[in-house]
Amino acid sequence: MMRAWLFALALLGTTAAAAGQLQPFTDDSLPAIQKRLAGRPFILTLWSLTCHHCAKELQTLGRLARSDRTLPLVIVSTDTPAEARQIRAALQRFGLAHVDTWVFADAVPERLRYAIDPSWRGELPRSYLFDAAHRRVAHSGLINEAQLRDWLKRQRAGG
Amino acid sequence: MRGRIIPSLALVCLLPLTAWAQQPAGQAPVEDAAARRQQAWEARLAEQNPLAVGAALDAQGRVWLARVQERRLRVSHSADGGGSFSAPVAVTPQPEAVTADGENRPRLAIGADGTVHVSWTQGLAKPMSAHIRYARSTDGGKTFSTPMILNDDRQIVSHRFDALAVDGKGGVAVTWLDARSRSGRTANKSPQTDVGLYAARSADGGATFGPNRRVAEHSCQCCRTALAWSAQGPLAFWRHVFGRNIRDFAIAALDGGPVLRVTDDEWEIDGCPHHGGGIAADGRGNLHIVWFTNGEKRKGIYYRRIAQTDFSKTDARLDMSAPLALGDAARQAGHPAVAASGDRVLLAWREFDGRRFSVWAMLSQDAGANWGAPQKLAEAAQQADYALPLVDARQALVVWNAAAEGLRVLAVAKP
Repeated sequence: MMRAWLFALALLGTTAAAAGQLQPFTDDSLPAIQKRLAGRPFILTLWSLTCHHCAKELQTLGRLARSDRTLPLVIVSTDTPAEARQIRAALQRFGLAHVDTWVFADAVPERLRYAIDPSWRGELPRSYLFDAAHRRVAHSGLINEAQLRDWLKRQRAGG
Repeated sequence: MRGRIIPSLALVCLLPLTAWAQQPAGQAPVEDAAARRQQAWEARLAEQNPLAVGAALDAQGRVWLARVQERRLRVSHSADGGGSFSAPVAVTPQPEAVTADGENRPRLAIGADGTVHVSWTQGLAKPMSAHIRYARSTDGGKTFSTPMILNDDRQIVSHRFDALAVDGKGGVAVTWLDARSRSGRTANKSPQTDVGLYAARSADGGATFGPNRRVAEHSCQCCRTALAWSAQGPLAFWRHVFGRNIRDFAIAALDGGPVLRVTDDEWEIDGCPHHGGGIAADGRGNLHIVWFTNGEKRKGIYYRRIAQTDFSKTDARLDMSAPLALGDAARQAGHPAVAASGDRVLLAWREFDGRRFSVWAMLSQDAGANWGAPQKLAEAAQQADYALPLVDARQALVVWNAAAEGLRVLAVAKP
């Protein structure tokens, strides 16, 4: 099991350089993402293959992504790198394969949850709306599509 | 060691009980999603030595332990406070998928006559489907009865998150969350509507069980249930769904009575907390509850005492202490549990500082009126189970299993 997992992680690490590919999310990933997206608003969504509400969440985001190819989305699966194939298939299915996608890569997932937000207790789906200054608003559970569209509009209007 | 925990990582949110059936027919994601869930479920079923264990004290103060090893549920006991354990005895004659992943764990209770009662959730091939199983030993844990299935519908749907309590006089109660009422008609409605709390009762020490009874409809889907045997019989404690989607806690008497709301945190979430609570009854008839919430009114883990009440009455007046916050919220204090014996009440929980887990306990010697300072008992460098408190007149212990350090039985100092 361990070997399989490490192998999957290694495979992921070597092939995930390009955008639109599943990348291993570690405890320093969010700062790196924020640095790359400095000055730009973005949406960070966390989900899992085994979470029913998460599928609905991805459907919503997929719908948004189809209507707006520039949607600033970062989607992180809290599953394991060993499940990369299923995760990619799901993202593909929901029309999210082209966005910035990641998968938790730590034997203790609590470490990654903590690195993202010590006040997040693991409930899913979980999303964060980052404005251009990267002030963020957290939301647990399904996100409301109309409110999300409204937020996007406001971010773009505000620059 | 690391590999052991990997399948459980995939299951951070196990909320769907029969979930994919809820998607409107004809939408493309359904089949694909079902296949993905199947794979994740199978990875979990294949887990050989999961971390989540069950523990109990007997009347002699021995520590009993139930854990899954090589896909068998095994029970052992310790006469020296956890220093050494007897050779484990298999409760499951054949390997089976005993779920042991945090909110789901084998449950143990030892009757005053020494009967060892065990309940557990047996995962089935269909994702999230499971049976509630029970076996007992009447020869001091040397042999166990053939496991029986308690959910009398026998449907391949979700029956999970079992809790077990005994009265020491032949009474045995098991509760669980049950999705049997889910149907094609209800599946297209809110996913919160058709999971309920069910119970099975035995009056002959677990030899036979009566028909299942639905205690409550409309419960949260994936938080553990809890049971305490009080002077009024068994009382269940679980995360309920109040109104449209408020996920606060309830108590109900299995002998009959209303669903009584006992927390008012106003946690509304279209998602899954996967983080339940615990209950214990002390020698004076008080109840002691601990729980997690992320509600509007409060966030974190809490303790409260509920004075003896007639839980069979719809207008039962609840005399409850104010919620007492436990642990360090900045260290994600979570997964609290409670045990009580006579006037002694022991609380235990887990914290995480971003790198390491730690386990904490707090002891009251006067039925919850006053509390000793929280004590940090141990740390874990890798993945760790929840803390399991055990208390009697002489001992206050916390059982804690961890991937790197193994199973530890930790002593709590007197306040």
